[in-house]
Amino acid sequence: MSRTVIRFFTIADYEEEEIWLRKQHQSGWRIVKMIPPCIYVFEECEPEDMIYRLDYKNSGQTEEYMQMLKDFGWEYFTHCNGWLYFRKPADEAESEQDGELFSDNESRIALVSHVVKTRLVPLAVVFLCCVLPNFVRAATGTGSFTGGLRMLFSIFFSFMFVFYVFLIVYCGTKLRKIRAKYDNHGI
Amino acid sequence: MEDKIRRIYVPMTESGFYILFCLQKPQHGYGISQQVKKMTGGAVCISAGTMYGTLSKMEKDGLICFYREEDKRKLYQITELGREILSLEIKRIERLYQNSRGEDANE
Repeated sequence: MSRTVIRFFTIADYEEEEIWLRKQHQSGWRIVKMIPPCIYVFEECEPEDMIYRLDYKNSGQTEEYMQMLKDFGWEYFTHCNGWLYFRKPADEAESEQDGELFSDNESRIALVSHVVKTRLVPLAVVFLCCVLPNFVRAATGTGSFTGGLRMLFSIFFSFMFVFYVFLIVYCGTKLRKIRAKYDNHGI
Repeated sequence: MEDKIRRIYVPMTESGFYILFCLQKPQHGYGISQQVKKMTGGAVCISAGTMYGTLSKMEKDGLICFYREEDKRKLYQITELGREILSLEIKRIERLYQNSRGEDANE
């Protein structure tokens, strides 16, 4: 039996997503695949404590990387928008670090920086160069459309404006928090 | 030696130190992690992502280089620059150790 769930995780929610997937598996639902941006397909399975971990590789993964993760006991099962999904049975993890992809704060922070640089910054650029100017044009009525089309244009860009502002503020704050959690401030 | 490389790697992280130290002999990522576990009695455990990231960064900065490939696994080895950095780190750690024991490291 399979089950499809719609759940939206932003680029700043990967730690919550890991926990959520683990809980699903503990209650007998193993993820089979993901359809971007927010559809998760599960199949019924024996309940098991399975650790789920996400890594982000914007430029794609190398054969060496996949082999190394496999050597460390990680099963790769899917990828989505640059995120790679791995899992490992909890009883196979010999130590706390063995159940994580990153064992020191430097590498945890490097992941956050990689997400900010290749996901959050482009999002802000699209917002500043496309969403914001069109929103201003729609709001001040200086666009070239008239009547119904103009109305549609206004509604669309107002929605986009709110959506982008929410996403940028939410992800920006959350990523900062994650970074602060792992940053020892040079001590 | 380039000042920039020295600034980045001296001092280096504990994982970084053990990885560079182990690469005095050619080794692949998983092999290094096993060796480090053994050397430290399991106290230092380097995870897969941290291992891969550190190896890529050190290779890019010229501290280690590709040695050969073995069943899709890349073996790395320390370079001359890597040895220089490693000996600086060892000196620093020795000084730290001596001072922590109340010995005068300058003697």
